Parts: sequence; C-alpha cells; structure tokens
Amino acid sequence: FLFHKWNLLCVVTMCRAVPINDLIYRASQQSDKLHALSTMLTQELGSEVFPIDRVHACHTSSLQTPTDKEQALQVSESDLLSLARSLLQAWSDPLVVLSSSTNVLPYSAQSTLSKTIQKMQEHSKDLKDGLDILSSKMGPAAQTITSLPFIETNEIGQDKITKLLSCFRRDSHKIDSFLKVLRCRAANMQPQMC
Amino acid sequence: MTKVGEVLLLLLLPAFVPHTDGTRYSLPGKPTEIKCRSPEKETFTCWWKPGSDGGLPTTYALYYRKEGSDVVHECPDYHTAGKNSCFFNKNDTVIWVSYNITVVATNALGKTYSDPVDIDVVYIVKPHPPEKLEVTVMKDQGWPFLRVSWEPPRKADTRSGWITLIYELRVKLEEEESEWENHVAGQQKMFNIFSLRSGGTYLIQVRCKPDHGFWSEWSSTSYVKVPECKTSSVWILILVFSAFILLILIWLIHMNSHSLKHCMLPPVPGPKIKGFDKQLLKSGKSDEVFSALVVSDFPPTTSNYEDLLVEYLEVYVPEQQELMVDEGKDHDGCLKSIGSASDSDSGRGSCDSDNLLMDKSGAAKEEQQQQNQEGDQIGTETQGPKEAWEKETMLCANEDVVSPDASSKKVKTWPSVFSPVTPYSPSPLDPHNSLEMHKQNCLSDTQFPPGSPSSDHCIKKALQSSYWEVCFNNNQPYPQTDVHQQLQAHSDRNISAINDGNVPSNLLLPTRMTEYVEVQRLNEENKVLLHPIPSGHSREKACSWVGHRDNYSKVKGVNSDNVLLLQRDVVEEESMEMAGAAESCYTSSIAINTPKPTTCSHIALPVQEERVLAVSGYVDTATMFSLDTYVNEMKPVASKANTV
Repeated sequence: FLFHKWNLLCVVTMCRAVPINDLIYRASQQSDKLHALSTMLTQELGSEVFPIDRVHACHTSSLQTPTDKEQALQVSESDLLSLARSLLQAWSDPLVVLSSSTNVLPYSAQSTLSKTIQKMQEHSKDLKDGLDILSSKMGPAAQTITSLPFIETNEIGQDKITKLLSCFRRDSHKIDSFLKVLRCRAANMQPQMC
Repeated sequence: MTKVGEVLLLLLLPAFVPHTDGTRYSLPGKPTEIKCRSPEKETFTCWWKPGSDGGLPTTYALYYRKEGSDVVHECPDYHTAGKNSCFFNKNDTVIWVSYNITVVATNALGKTYSDPVDIDVVYIVKPHPPEKLEVTVMKDQGWPFLRVSWEPPRKADTRSGWITLIYELRVKLEEEESEWENHVAGQQKMFNIFSLRSGGTYLIQVRCKPDHGFWSEWSSTSYVKVPECKTSSVWILILVFSAFILLILIWLIHMNSHSLKHCMLPPVPGPKIKGFDKQLLKSGKSDEVFSALVVSDFPPTTSNYEDLLVEYLEVYVPEQQELMVDEGKDHDGCLKSIGSASDSDSGRGSCDSDNLLMDKSGAAKEEQQQQNQEGDQIGTETQGPKEAWEKETMLCANEDVVSPDASSKKVKTWPSVFSPVTPYSPSPLDPHNSLEMHKQNCLSDTQFPPGSPSSDHCIKKALQSSYWEVCFNNNQPYPQTDVHQQLQAHSDRNISAINDGNVPSNLLLPTRMTEYVEVQRLNEENKVLLHPIPSGHSREKACSWVGHRDNYSKVKGVNSDNVLLLQRDVVEEESMEMAGAAESCYTSSIAINTPKPTTCSHIALPVQEERVLAVSGYVDTATMFSLDTYVNEMKPVASKANTV
C-alpha cells in the first residue's frame, strides 16, 4: 500500500477524503510494524540489549522526548506528530547506510539483514508519507521537523551497525508510542480504537 | 594429667572452632538472574537470585546507573516487591533510558558483585492479568454459547493509549484428558465461544500482552456449566426404544421366516414329467435330461403295444391303506386329481394332461395307429397295493412313473383323461372317432391271475380294500386292432352320455375313491373316462348308483362334440355276453370283499366282436365326458371290449 494515497480513497470515479481517524489508525499500524522489524533484527544479531552509553549515543539523542508517561500525555498532538516525523526523517539516511554495510556482518546474517532493512525502509517511507498528509491537516506546529543529521556516510563497522540498530529500535518505539497516544486522543467517538 | 589435658582441650576447642568456622566462611555468592519487569510502563521491579551466603549474614544491595550518567544510585525500595527485589516507583522510573543495574552481596568477609544488566523499561513490560472475568451462557436459536468478557488490568492505562493490550483466552472442559483451546481476541474485551457440549462444565482463563512486551499470567479460572439439552435425552430414549422394538421384530421375522416365505412366495409347481429329472436339469446337462425323456423303445416297435398302454392307478387307502397315485404323466397321459384331499404334490397340477398325452403319445399313436388302427383300448387304471404298484412302475416303460403320494394317504381321484388326439397325429381313422389307448405294460400281469379273457390281458391289482382291475389289451395287437376297430365302429354312433351331473359329483369327489381306470389315449377329441371301483360302501354307492342307473359301460359312440356316449347296460351278464370272451372283471371285485356283482357291473362295451379291453378290470361307470371333464372312478371292465 502507498501512503501517498492516504489523502483520498478513490472508488471507481468517486473520491472521498479519508477521515483523520482512519489515517492515524493506519499510521499507527505502520509504526507498529516498523518497530517489530527492528526488534527482530536486533534480536537476531544478538544485540538486543545494547548498552547505549554516552560515548556512543544515538544521533537522535539530542531530540528532547518525554521520559515518562505524565510528560508524554502532556505533549500536544501536533508536537507528538512533529516528534514522530522528525525521528522518522532522521533515520531515512542511516537506513540507507545500513543497507549498504551488510557485508561486514557475518555471512549468515547478511541476507536477513538486507531483507529486513529493505522492509524497514519501505515501511518508513510509507509512514513518512502518511504523516506528512496528517500533519498538513493538523496545523503548522505539526509541520516542524527537527533535523537530526546523520554524519556517517561511509561504511561503518560492525559495532557501529549494532549500535545503529539499537538506536533505531528505540526511536521506532518512540514513534509508535507517540502515534498510539495520538490515535487514542483522536478516537473520542470510537473508543474501540484505544 | 589426662584430666587437665582434657580440660585444656575443651577450653581450646572454641578457639579452634572459629578458626575452622572461618575456613567455612566466605564471601557471599554472586547474585544471579536479575530480572526486571514493569507492569504498566510507569514503574518497574527487579528481582535477583542470591548466591550462597558464605556462612555469614549477607546483605544485598542494588545499584544502578542511568544512561549517560555516571551517578550511581541505590535501589530506593527493597521491600515493596518482596525479598531480594528492588522496586522503582514512578519517580525513579524513566523510559527510553537504559538502566545499568548491579546487585551486590555483602557479608562480613566482603562483597560480591553480580553481573551488570542493562534494561530499558519500555522493553520489559509485563502487565497484570485481566480482571473481572465474566462468563455467561447465552442461546443462539436454541443452541447455547458462552459469552466471555473481562477488564484490562487496573494499572494498565489503555484509555490514554499509553499501553495497547491484546488479549487471549483459553477454554477447557472439566475433564481429565481435555486440553486447552486458545483464542486470540485482539484488542476486544469480549469473546463468544460456540460448539459446546450440553451439560459440560468449562474452565476459562484470559491473559493480555502489550504491543511490544511480555504476556501476562493467566487470570483466575472461571467455571461455567452449560445446561443440559432436555430434548436430546428424550430423543435418545425414543431412539433406544424403537431400536429395541426393531430388534424384536427382526427376531420374530427370522423365527417365522419359513412360514412367511410360504405365505408370500408360494412354491412354484414344477413339472412332473415322466422321465424328467429335475436334478439332472439343474446340473445343466440338458442333453441328458432330454434323453431321459426319450423312451428307448419309442417309437414302439411292432409288438410292444403294451408298453404304450398307459395305466393309471390310484389307490385309495383309507386309514391304513395308502393311496397310490400314479402320476405318470408321461406320454401316458395325466390324471388330474380332483380329490378333495389336498395334494401336496404340486407338480401334478401343472401337467397338462391333454397336451402331454397328445404330445407324447403322438408318435406312439402313430405307431399304434398303424398297428391298431381301429382298436380301441381302454386302459384302466387299477389301483394296486403299493408294492404292486411299485413293481409296475418298474415294469413300466416309463421310467419315471412316480407315485409320489404312494405313501400318502390322501385320496386322489383321478379323472380319466380323455385327451383328444393330437392333431398332428392324424390317424387314418376318423380322427373324431377313433380312440386310441396307450397301453402300458405297466401292470403286473404276473400279479394277477390271468383271468382276463383270452384275448385280453387283464391286469388286476388288488387292494386291501378295493380292487382294481385293469383290463388292458396289452399283448395282442390283434385285439387292439379290434378294439380300435370296434371303437371306431361305434364311434359314429351316438353314445348316450351318462349323466354327467351325477357322475362327477359322485366320482369327482369321492372321499374314498380308490380305483381308477384311466382311459388312455383318445383320439383327438374322444375321451373315455373310466371310473374306479369305489371301495367299500363307496363302492356300494357307486355300485348302487350304478344299480340305480343303468350300466353305462357301453359306449354307444361319440357324438359330434367328441363326447363319448355310453350305452346303458343293465345286465352284466349281458355285458358279459356282449363282452364275449371278455373275461369277467369281477375278479377284482371278487377279491374285494364286497361283492356286488350286480351293481358293479361292468360296462359292456358296444363292441361285441372282441374285447375291447383285454383287461379283466372293469369300468364301473364309464362315463362319457366332454373333453373338459374328468371322471374319477374306476370300474372294472367286464367286457373285453374297451370301454369307451
């Protein structure tokens, strides 16, 4: 499916706008899938619990995100969306680097890594498109995307790969969490979504 | 001295003991298996497994370090979560931050550090089990189903979307060997279970899992009993009952199967053809079967007229005696029993006497015609004792002369068969007039005194109670020819027909018909009926009847309807005279204890010249019947002429 078709649901010749609730629900589904993929990947590579210390912090660590539930629930929808979009944007390049760096990994893990990374890229792209549409409906605050540049452009070593994967796992979880909170906020009329 | 030594030893012993105890004391063992869990993504708890304590009191401490900070903190709460645990409340819990946790065991001798563990709270979420599990039995068009509903664990905040839970339930019958049946319910908090067993008790449990976490423990079990289906038990009773009745019916039918078979599927009468062996036919060798039918000496060669003479003897054996019925249905012809006695021999009826006679005697007839063209002979049936009869059967050219009812005591009345001569055997004689008799050399000539007239060959068979005399014109073709001629001569005449009415009634259903005279063969239409001599009183009856009426042993002729007209003949002497040399057929009657010579007059045949019959037997009343009727009565034929 393609998120760029989110805005309109066309049946035959009639097109109608997709309601926001459905868009958000669809987005949360995508983020959920994305995080599941990353979790699977880290588990396979044995770096499930990867210590993220100060030295090797994620390139997205500078982005301030809520650290507990109270904080998270106080964030506005637009901010939540902005955060999600920023994180998502921050990982589009690293994923490319990751996909081209699989040859440093053990041979047995290479194919798995390549496939999974490819899937993650697809989902990420899809989610980005959907969130872009969503943000356009939610006001200017949602449009803000914090830039989180990824410096490394060359091939990275194996330890870097594992660290990157760990960082991505966390960030994908953040995205998913934000969107699910957003989903429940938007589903006042449909409590079954929460 | 020794005593002091002992005391010293005793005093020094405690000193040594700590030394040895100290060797036993050691550092505490390393705490292991540190496991942390968060039920709602707001707090979390860590548990560890202590090692050996080294013999000394050991204390444990948990220290943690957050990601990006070097500050080491100690566990804020060791008690809330129980022993060897550390509880982090909301204030101490941050998400998306790694914790580096270490547990330290301390005793008097030192500390032992555990391996550090890095955790992120959002990854270790394990909620509490769902709550308020409710199961109700509901009905869907009469069929019951379970509606299970529950609530998320109290602490999990699903309303705000902070935690997204998916549920799973499992069902099991309350039986030993039943297994759990799992159902994933998704995010819904209600589920329906169908296909239940009536009257069964079910166990239901439910658990939940966050979108990216661990499954909770199973909730407490809910028990529910599905009500019995009342109608099913009733139907089962009905089913069992009807099955029982069915079994009884089947058993009854089985017991009576034989009689039922007879009732519903009566056995088909089979052919009783002289010389026809059913068993042989079954074997499939048709050649043999049909060859048996072919009499070896048939067509008869010249002087075997006796062979062609058909005799039918029916023996009536009241009580002690046995009736013998000759069923020779061969070319001799058939007799149909019109007796009142039931005839078990069903095959007899199928014999179409007329046709058989004609068919089988056709060839013989021709032969005979050639030889005995005008001679008429009357074969009389004689009843003889069973043994005699059997002998006769032996002598008979017809191999399969059967007297199946020989042993039976049924009375069989044999009508004399007057079979018309088959059309295919046209005789040079007037077909309407000539009577032909097949002679069968069946009678035991030897058994009876040859009281027959010289030209006649009488065969008599004596019964115990009745006598038969069968006069046959067996041996001499000449007489036969005479007979034929005679018959022919008289054929044109009108023969008074005997009162048919009486005769049949009297003759047809004699309960004591014992003697039969069978008229053998007839020319095409002619029939000669011979009546057996009734035994005893029946005989008397017959005799008396005869006495009443005139003797109709004479054949006047054959009328146009092919009815043999008998001439009344009153006087037997006359008949005897008329018979000429025909020997008295009284021999048989004499043998019989009831002498009524007068009554039992023989029939005087109109044939004067020669005896028609060589048989000493006489026909009591030779009644003329039409083709259709049969007379069952035998009469001694006094006249030598064949009774026609």
